[in-house]
Amino acid sequence: MNRDYAKYALRRVLQAIVVVLLAYVFTFVVISVLPGDPVTNTLRNPQNGFTEEEITRIVSYYGLDRPVHEQLWDSLSRLVVGDLGVSLRSGLPVTRLIGEVVGSTLVLALSALAVALVLAFAIGFGTRYLPKRGGQGLLRAFPALFLSVPNFVVGLVLISVFAFQLGLFRVIDSEGGAATSFAAIALGIPVSAQVAEVLIANLDHEAGQEYAAVARSRGLGRTRLFLRHLLKPSSLPVVTVIALTVGELLGGAVITEQIFGRTGVGSLVERSVTTQDLPVLQAVVTLAAVTFVVVNLVADLLYPLLDPRVRLAGGRSRGKAEVAAP
Amino acid sequence: MAPQDRLTLDRVEAPGQASAGALLRVEGLSVSYGDHQVVSDVGFALRRGESLALIGESGSGKSTIARALLRLLPQGIGRASGSVEFDGHDVLSLPERRFRPLRGKRIGFVPQDPGTSLNPVRTVGSQAREAAALLGGPGGHEELVLDTFAQVGLDNPRRVYDSYPHQLSGGMLQRVLIGLTVLPRPALIVADEPTSALDVTIQKRILDLLSDLRRDLDISLLLITHDLAVAAERADSLVVLKDGVVREAGRTAAVFSAPSSDYTRRLHADVPALNPDRYRHLRDREPAGGPPKIEVTGVTKSFTVDGRRLTAVDDVSFSVPTGTTHALVGESGSGKTTTIRLLLGLEEPDRGAISVAGEEVAGRSHASLRSIRRHLQLVYQNPFTSLDPLWTVERLVGESLDRFRVGTRRERADRVREALHSVGLGEDLLSRKPSALSGGQRQRVALARALVLRPDVIVLDEPTSALDVSVQAGIVEVLLSLQAELGLTYVFVSHDLALVRQLAHTVSVMHRGRIVESGEVGAIFDHPRESCTRALVDSIPVGAGAVAEGVS
Amino acid sequence: MTVAAVPSALPAVRRGQAAKVPPTVAVSFAVLAVVLSWSVVPGLFTAQDPVNGVPADKFLRPSTAHLFGTDHLGRDLFTRVVHGTASSVTSALIAVGIGVVVGGLIGLVAGFAGGWVDSVLARLVDVLLAIPSFLLAVVVVSSLGFQTVNAAIATGVSAVGVFARVMRSEVLKTRQAVFVEASYLQGGSRWHILVRHVLPNASRSVLMLAVLQFGLSILVIAGLAFLGYGDPPPASDWGLLIATGKDYPLAAWLVYAPAFVTIATVLSVNRISRWLRKTD
Repeated sequence: MNRDYAKYALRRVLQAIVVVLLAYVFTFVVISVLPGDPVTNTLRNPQNGFTEEEITRIVSYYGLDRPVHEQLWDSLSRLVVGDLGVSLRSGLPVTRLIGEVVGSTLVLALSALAVALVLAFAIGFGTRYLPKRGGQGLLRAFPALFLSVPNFVVGLVLISVFAFQLGLFRVIDSEGGAATSFAAIALGIPVSAQVAEVLIANLDHEAGQEYAAVARSRGLGRTRLFLRHLLKPSSLPVVTVIALTVGELLGGAVITEQIFGRTGVGSLVERSVTTQDLPVLQAVVTLAAVTFVVVNLVADLLYPLLDPRVRLAGGRSRGKAEVAAP
Repeated sequence: MAPQDRLTLDRVEAPGQASAGALLRVEGLSVSYGDHQVVSDVGFALRRGESLALIGESGSGKSTIARALLRLLPQGIGRASGSVEFDGHDVLSLPERRFRPLRGKRIGFVPQDPGTSLNPVRTVGSQAREAAALLGGPGGHEELVLDTFAQVGLDNPRRVYDSYPHQLSGGMLQRVLIGLTVLPRPALIVADEPTSALDVTIQKRILDLLSDLRRDLDISLLLITHDLAVAAERADSLVVLKDGVVREAGRTAAVFSAPSSDYTRRLHADVPALNPDRYRHLRDREPAGGPPKIEVTGVTKSFTVDGRRLTAVDDVSFSVPTGTTHALVGESGSGKTTTIRLLLGLEEPDRGAISVAGEEVAGRSHASLRSIRRHLQLVYQNPFTSLDPLWTVERLVGESLDRFRVGTRRERADRVREALHSVGLGEDLLSRKPSALSGGQRQRVALARALVLRPDVIVLDEPTSALDVSVQAGIVEVLLSLQAELGLTYVFVSHDLALVRQLAHTVSVMHRGRIVESGEVGAIFDHPRESCTRALVDSIPVGAGAVAEGVS
Repeated sequence: MTVAAVPSALPAVRRGQAAKVPPTVAVSFAVLAVVLSWSVVPGLFTAQDPVNGVPADKFLRPSTAHLFGTDHLGRDLFTRVVHGTASSVTSALIAVGIGVVVGGLIGLVAGFAGGWVDSVLARLVDVLLAIPSFLLAVVVVSSLGFQTVNAAIATGVSAVGVFARVMRSEVLKTRQAVFVEASYLQGGSRWHILVRHVLPNASRSVLMLAVLQFGLSILVIAGLAFLGYGDPPPASDWGLLIATGKDYPLAAWLVYAPAFVTIATVLSVNRISRWLRKTD
């Protein structure tokens, strides 16, 4: 098992590195190969007031006058030493721009995740404990509803009710605790739906398993059945789902930060898109991919340790054959 | 047979009389799932210390009755009405709070599939300790559990205690579950097909264990089974169910010697173990003579699993004369399936030669195998997976005709109909999809698909093991008639020796990849030489004979 | 050998119930029918002008004359929602189309070819899944230019990974099915098996995903429109309407009415997708 696990871990880590590098190349390709030349468009936009000389200088700095594969190579060599390039707008290093705002987004994303988990588990447990005709059906409809509401609508409603009408927080004080909490709720609600759906499905599945009936036939009560038997096998797959929601949290931050007037990675993206600041955009996408890959790598590496059923190295183990038949 | 031994459906007992000895009395029990009634007005009584078998095929409602007695019907869907009296308690009307002390402590439950009946993410020991703790009493549960494990014949209780369920074999898990059931010394055990998920030789040992425990601990047993022969061997009285209705009930010897309902008679006739010579007239014909149709010589095949080399088939040789049936028998993992996959060219042997109708199979390309396949067909074990769910019967049966471009479109359509007729299916099924067919119909479609190219050899991989006995009897009859009519050669893989005895001419017994014994069916069965052959032969329930002798 | 005992009465009952369409599903179909008619023949539902309003009638509350009220230029909001439907819904269809075709093809080839082709395509799919789909859509749309069509393409590209993954796993599952081997024994070629057995069976899950993804795409495209990455006003995509409406907090209906329509549509799509999954 241990050697198998080491092999598995090594393979997953190598895959993760490849995926990150490919993600960088992929965004590069999307940005530079797709029709339309955003960089020169931005530079030549009279509003930006670049002179012809400046344009030539910037173009040659980025090597935009050279073939695409050479640009890619340069870009990758810079990436390896941790240089993500320079903002086309402000001329500042991209790493510095991101460094300034990453903390705020991290706080928002983690609070949103907390909101999502609390909500999801509350819904999941509720479906087990509420009677079939009283509220359970309603509770089961929640994830579907949450999945159908655009997250900017949730944000707008929260602001309109809690900031404007009830005055619980002020939009101006966007980084304050209260404002952050509501932003986290707006971002967390759609995420909670995904987690809750899986949790409910697993709880239903496990409750219908033969072992649950057999445990009850031995005289186990409902609460103990739930806590000791159903909870663990139902929650384990949720680890994987939580890891997958990282993308949701980072993508959703673009809109949530804009609505709540926060400065974070999301609003940086929004600004970079409007100003066609491609180096920043590419760096943020790479960073998001790295985050996603790392979190999912950790989840994948953790899972075999948590769930005794998972066999590694593929194929059925012959463990059964070793044990003498009765 | 005394008249009071007979428990019939409509018999009304005077209150207080005869029921004195009854531990469990069921009267007018009906169960429905939603609007669908699956059990109707069922009644029976089980005396203290005795055993009673509920017998029925799939859909007979036998498992539903077991669950209703334990109040384990799916919540919100299943509804039970009528009266179930256990040891003076009215089970159905007790509030859950008052019933729970009975469940487990006084009524134990042994489930059908031990593989899914323990929580997969907790160790066996932690679940056993939990069961022991439910009985209350001072600590020392671990000792109690280990003692119980030893009592149910687990060789290494400590190891079992520390294992997760997936690390143990089905037989061991069933012993664990039986151990947990008898731990509180219940008055009644409800066993729902306790062996149907296990290998044949293990089935017998588990049933023996249940019988021993029952005798030693004075426990009553309600055995749910589809197997009339097993029921006859293990139960004092029988209740025969069909479609949720009791067809017959009474003492085992009485029901067996003189079944009163047509259904029971038919069921009796369809059980291979009870009718070894049923198809003798179809089977015993003059051999066609000539060279053997199939010759397998010194075939070996190994696989690499988890870095270890495993020899699945080891120096196997057998030959099958034209127009006869050769059976391959053995427990799961004995190499039967690999052998037929080699025969069909689905796997390449490491060594050895395989010839079918004089043509070499091994070492051929896909294209040249194609020509052999016209004469060599396979019927799979499970008709629920071997038919594409999106295809109609007409397309399914006609697929090979289209692939081999046989005849005109019209001729192909005619041959599809002809093949369906030969397996006893009507043309009204042509446009149906597999989901609209019963299990037996599906397997007949699979058989028609194998027949449509008019092959010489059909390989049958446990073709009836997923089906009820009455359905099985129909398929076997079709197989043997076709053989008599067309001179087909069969290779028949099975773990059911009673069935093999009914239809095969010769047999090879496989054990750990090798053929340990082979020859004429009668000779092998009457005088097995090897211990594993004997174990297989012993696993055939002999209840019928024993009971019949007891009566006469 | 346990199979015989398994098909009990229970699944039969469920199958019986599935034949009936539950009321919520019927309502969902009705909602979608209305929305689709809005997008095909908007003129049938409203006679007012979606672009030029009556300045005197600005910020009117919802009433019988103006079902959803009017906006800051005195335009009837209901008319604007109805006329914005076509681009909101069609762009979601384009997105799903791209996802199904491109993703499905990648998944099919990867699953059926196996070997190094599968490894290479699997990494590509990993990349597509690793980039948060909304960010990916944002990057693609900013590279292509701010138009609703481009937003649709971007949303489609961001869904390719999901479709490819589902298709691949379905193909792998179907390939191992016993009936596929049976077809091979009936003389079926690889191509025959791929087209006649594997593809139809694997497509079922992909089509169900497509329905779910249709709802999701409406949300993503609304999000892009909300950020201003779609067609500029006077276009009236639902997301854009909400974005404009939020600037007038005192006229709350400007947000709530288009939001309600969006939610009702997506909710209906999700309900239908769930129902399809259950009846499978």
